[in-house]
Amino acid sequence: MRARFRERLQNEFDQRRTRNAHYSLRAFAAMLGADHSSLSQILRGRRSAPAAKIRDWGKRLGLDPEETVAYIATEHMPPEEVASRDSQLRHWTAEAAAILMEPTHWELFRLCAPEWRGGSRDMAMRIGQTVDQVNVALTRLLRLGLVETDVDGAWRSVRSATTQKEFRRLALQRVRAKAAESRIQLPRGLEK
Amino acid sequence: MANPVLQFQIISKNPEQAAGFYSKLFGWKIDTDNAMGYRRIDTGSAEGIHGGIWPAPEQSPTFTQFFVAVDDVTAMVAKAVKLGARLLIPPTTLPEGDEMAILHDPQGMSFAVWRGKTSDETA
Repeated sequence: MRARFRERLQNEFDQRRTRNAHYSLRAFAAMLGADHSSLSQILRGRRSAPAAKIRDWGKRLGLDPEETVAYIATEHMPPEEVASRDSQLRHWTAEAAAILMEPTHWELFRLCAPEWRGGSRDMAMRIGQTVDQVNVALTRLLRLGLVETDVDGAWRSVRSATTQKEFRRLALQRVRAKAAESRIQLPRGLEK
Repeated sequence: MANPVLQFQIISKNPEQAAGFYSKLFGWKIDTDNAMGYRRIDTGSAEGIHGGIWPAPEQSPTFTQFFVAVDDVTAMVAKAVKLGARLLIPPTTLPEGDEMAILHDPQGMSFAVWRGKTSDETA
């Protein structure tokens, strides 16, 4: 769990009250040069402390400048769940973009219809791409459930798509479905 | 059957550079002479495990996975999913007969379950 500046302030206030039971929030605000009601809202978690205030109050509390910088950074980091959603959204948008912009996927999908026996080294030779390009695209097709293998090691496209446009539509449906499993909604209109 | 970690796999955005770096640093032998063009790493030691390098898509970070040997890939995937894992690549049979699946554990760390072709022969 990350330490928030609010907790540092609260801790400081509590220590002062321990030393002097009559020490008030108004006195604490005056010491910080802060508005009493703003400080109260920050301590109750109703709002976060602006960076300039953290810098100013940090000095008054005698904090190490590096500690102050860490509090500013922490205060302005998005909550973990927001960061995770952003990262998921970026991931699935990139998956969609790769499917739309890299024709290797379509070439491989076509190659595996009805089936392909052999490895990606042969696939790469057939479609004129590097083995790494083929392996990245093949992994994506497997991840999206567009290609599968059987116990004999044959690769098969799972559905038929006769044109690249049809394939892209199918692939984007899969990307959307996979993203939805992580509760990520991709923007409409990517197909166009 | 116990479930030992069989190998590590580096997922790299620049697999050629990763191969060059580790082979120069540790003297590992890297061989791509197989159907998938997979960069197999032989550390040259009977101790520890060997590994491999697989290319990563552009948006992916570079990271390392571990491969765990299992009797039955499909059954282990079902068990993992029941325990909160997310299936990334379903059970897949590779050209040389090995079977694998890739999952994310409940904290999002990627790992693979693996059944080598030789498991059939020794079973």
